Amino acid sequence: MTIETIARPIDQADITGPGAWWCSGCGDFGVTAAFKEVLLEVVNQLGIPLERVFVVSGIGCSSKEPEMLRVNAYHGQHGRSIPVAMGLALANPQLVIVDFGGDGDTYGIGMEHFVHACIKNVNMTLVVMNNQVYGLTKGQASPTGHLGLKTSSTPYGKAIRPVNPLKLAIAAGAAFVARGVSWKKKELAQLMRQAILTKGFALVDVFSPCVTYHREPGYRGSGAIVDWYRLNYVLDIKEAWERMRDQVFTEEERKRLPADYDPTDPEAALMALRLIEAAAKMGREVTGLLLIDESAPTMAEALGISAERPPALADISVESNLATYRQWLQELT
Amino acid sequence: MWSLQVCGAGRAGDGTNTSVQLLGQALKDMGAWVFVWRDEVYSNIQTRDSAFGLRAADAPIYGPDDLFDVLIAFDAGALEDWTHEGRVPPVERLRAGGVLIYDSSPRLEYPNTGHEIREDLVAHLQEARALHVFGAPFGQMAKDQFKNYIVRSTIAVGALAYLMAIPLSVLEGRFRRLFQNELLAINLEALYLGHRYAQENGWRAPDLALPVGTLKAGERQLIMGNEAVALGSIVAGCRFYAGYPITPASEVLEYMAEKLPKIGGVVVQADSEMAAVHHVIGASVAGCRAMTATAGPGFSLMQEAISAAGMAETPIVIVVSQRGGPATGLPTKVGQEDLNETIFGGHGDFARIVLSPTDPEDAFYLMGTAFNLAERYQCPVFVIYDQVFAQSYFTTPPLDPARFTIDRGQLIAPWTGHRSNGAYHRYRLTRDGISPRAVPGTPGITTIYYNSNEHNEEGYITEEIAMRRAMVEKRVLKRIALIRRDPELPPPRVVGHPEASIGLIGYSSIWGPAVEVVQRLLAQGRPAKLMALRTLWPFPSREVRKFVESCRVVYVVEHSAGAQLRGLVQREATGPMPRKLRSIVRYDGRPITPGYIIAAMKEGKA
Repeated sequence: MTIETIARPIDQADITGPGAWWCSGCGDFGVTAAFKEVLLEVVNQLGIPLERVFVVSGIGCSSKEPEMLRVNAYHGQHGRSIPVAMGLALANPQLVIVDFGGDGDTYGIGMEHFVHACIKNVNMTLVVMNNQVYGLTKGQASPTGHLGLKTSSTPYGKAIRPVNPLKLAIAAGAAFVARGVSWKKKELAQLMRQAILTKGFALVDVFSPCVTYHREPGYRGSGAIVDWYRLNYVLDIKEAWERMRDQVFTEEERKRLPADYDPTDPEAALMALRLIEAAAKMGREVTGLLLIDESAPTMAEALGISAERPPALADISVESNLATYRQWLQELT
Repeated sequence: MWSLQVCGAGRAGDGTNTSVQLLGQALKDMGAWVFVWRDEVYSNIQTRDSAFGLRAADAPIYGPDDLFDVLIAFDAGALEDWTHEGRVPPVERLRAGGVLIYDSSPRLEYPNTGHEIREDLVAHLQEARALHVFGAPFGQMAKDQFKNYIVRSTIAVGALAYLMAIPLSVLEGRFRRLFQNELLAINLEALYLGHRYAQENGWRAPDLALPVGTLKAGERQLIMGNEAVALGSIVAGCRFYAGYPITPASEVLEYMAEKLPKIGGVVVQADSEMAAVHHVIGASVAGCRAMTATAGPGFSLMQEAISAAGMAETPIVIVVSQRGGPATGLPTKVGQEDLNETIFGGHGDFARIVLSPTDPEDAFYLMGTAFNLAERYQCPVFVIYDQVFAQSYFTTPPLDPARFTIDRGQLIAPWTGHRSNGAYHRYRLTRDGISPRAVPGTPGITTIYYNSNEHNEEGYITEEIAMRRAMVEKRVLKRIALIRRDPELPPPRVVGHPEASIGLIGYSSIWGPAVEVVQRLLAQGRPAKLMALRTLWPFPSREVRKFVESCRVVYVVEHSAGAQLRGLVQREATGPMPRKLRSIVRYDGRPITPGYIIAAMKEGKA
């Protein structure tokens, strides 16, 4: 029997799907463009077979990502992409798993799974297209919506404070924590590439503005919401470090801190948490690469799952296992 | 049929459970058919009243009988309703003229402290019920001789062994398998001490000695329902189990946790049942035979995923071990109230299969069928049973893994090779509606797209009329028709006189008591027959209709006040038939016994 492998190198056409019917100007296009660039690179240059790439998603505008692509994928239900991805990651650690979700999907209905995936350090990459609203149901506020955000479900302004996924991921022990923005493709691609190559659970939260339903006073017209983010909302971690290190850290601490923010520093988690807090007080959300820590075993490693002989590829024939089965039956007599 | 029934009654955590089990295993070793069950276990961990039942017979039995012949009372809870909440103490089910063995220690220890047995109550019971009563200070003896209170139940086993003439060597063999080192030494000494005590005090009880002549020792296993299910699944090729602890399904998780890692598999203790079932879906997509087991509350959490498995055509196996409901209900007690949720749960229309084993031997092989059907039809398969089946020990003939045949359906995997004829489409429209499933990582295949949205052949979302119709026809109509014709669907088990006019219908643990009802009625010259359903969906309408037609009256026996099984029979097979179809239901969380069924049949007549 002939086994035909796909022709390499692959190009854009090989991995492009019919499309997702996103609004013109949607941030998710930027995320997709960045991911496809990374995908071509990991397949063509790093030699990861496209056969082993697996994309998972839930429900929401962002979760239509598989529609933009032509790759192995599972498009599941709202909030449940992570546990499906976990099943795949444990059944076959050879797979490269990238999960695309939204902020409602991941930090609302799927929060249970998100926190546990961080704690369990599942070897996968989670890309969250975070836009503060539920776009697909026409613009209700999401868990990341900022205080005062006016939407159809918060007509008097959002009264509940937003979730901060970066703090949660850091506290829960994710191996890689970063936030990109959809309008800077090159930087976003760099974060995704690093995330995919990191051993353990990697979160790439992405500010991916909703051009249709996220409205801010004073910002009208196409592309205006990106300006709102740029001018009012985001603060790069390196810049935060420069601007706030003196006020955030004590003189004693500053003596042993590196000159530049270093996501691989053993104390990066604590530094990041404090900078996130300080930025939040100014009404800002940090972006950039906050943390890389590959010291913890992945869930598959911790459970002793063999990457060479993954459960999904196990020989389950009765003949091959008969001696073991007979022995176990004997124990039950 | 010779049959003897023993109850050990004490408090949770005092060793009664272990002792009754050991006794059961010894009797099995001697050739008896043994059934050991949790007669009274409350949903808490320590110090509540608890009782364990053991039945031994010289013929196959699959459930408890109504009355006990022997009661070993470790404290007052065995004899009286000391909490005054209407609890029925086990002594109420000790037959007149039966044997009462009790701990006569003046002071008991934790967890039995404060529940000392009143001598005046014993004297009263002895007279009122003509009991053979034997008291021994088991607790005191254990403290004095071994400084180890918990071995008092072993002393009691030794004393009962004397009364029943069980050779100590048989029990010793069992103790050696369970205990090691000092614990073994103490327990063996305690066993002999109890035996000696009974001998020296001249204990003698009629009708207790085993009919050794009629017992035929053979190779048999005493196996718990949940364990048979777990091991059957492993033999069927299950290499991925995800679950969340819940009674009465936890033993499946625990068995899998011990065994699967040793054979290249994986067990995930998930953060919820929602997570568990989605892990199973992910693993199945990856190419594993994957399963989970749960009970009512967990099963409700899984409904969303079950619907997804139906839509995305993902084979998964879900074990539903039923307890008394609704909500938290009676966590440790039996119920059959989740049948409707199993058959009709999960939103939307999709194909599914629901199987139910009658006993552990059946269950062992049934798991092979469950996984084959799941992969053949790429749909969720449920194996439904109840607490009595799940957590009782049954005697089975030797189980044979070599009898399993694994059929993975239409699967393209690295080990099957793949001849490319154009791009792979997950939902290719084929004649029979089954699209080959590809395992990720198979060379040449990069377009496996599972989708919970309505989709086209490639898996991409569509909402257009023609494709929606084609997909529903493929996934639902054609699939259900295909499944109905599958010869591997387990047929009902029918026993009794073919010409009988009295019929019984039930599933899972109803099998045991109902078989005995058929036997007893026959002995009274009233032929009856039983149909135990092993495939509940697609419902075996033709078989059930024929069965009902051949009877004058049919009793549907189940642990459901809502008569869920009878409802199915009516909906899928017979129509209402209000005069002919009758319900015998039990919803107090206690096992249905032969006597319960017969009494209900009489009541129905009156």
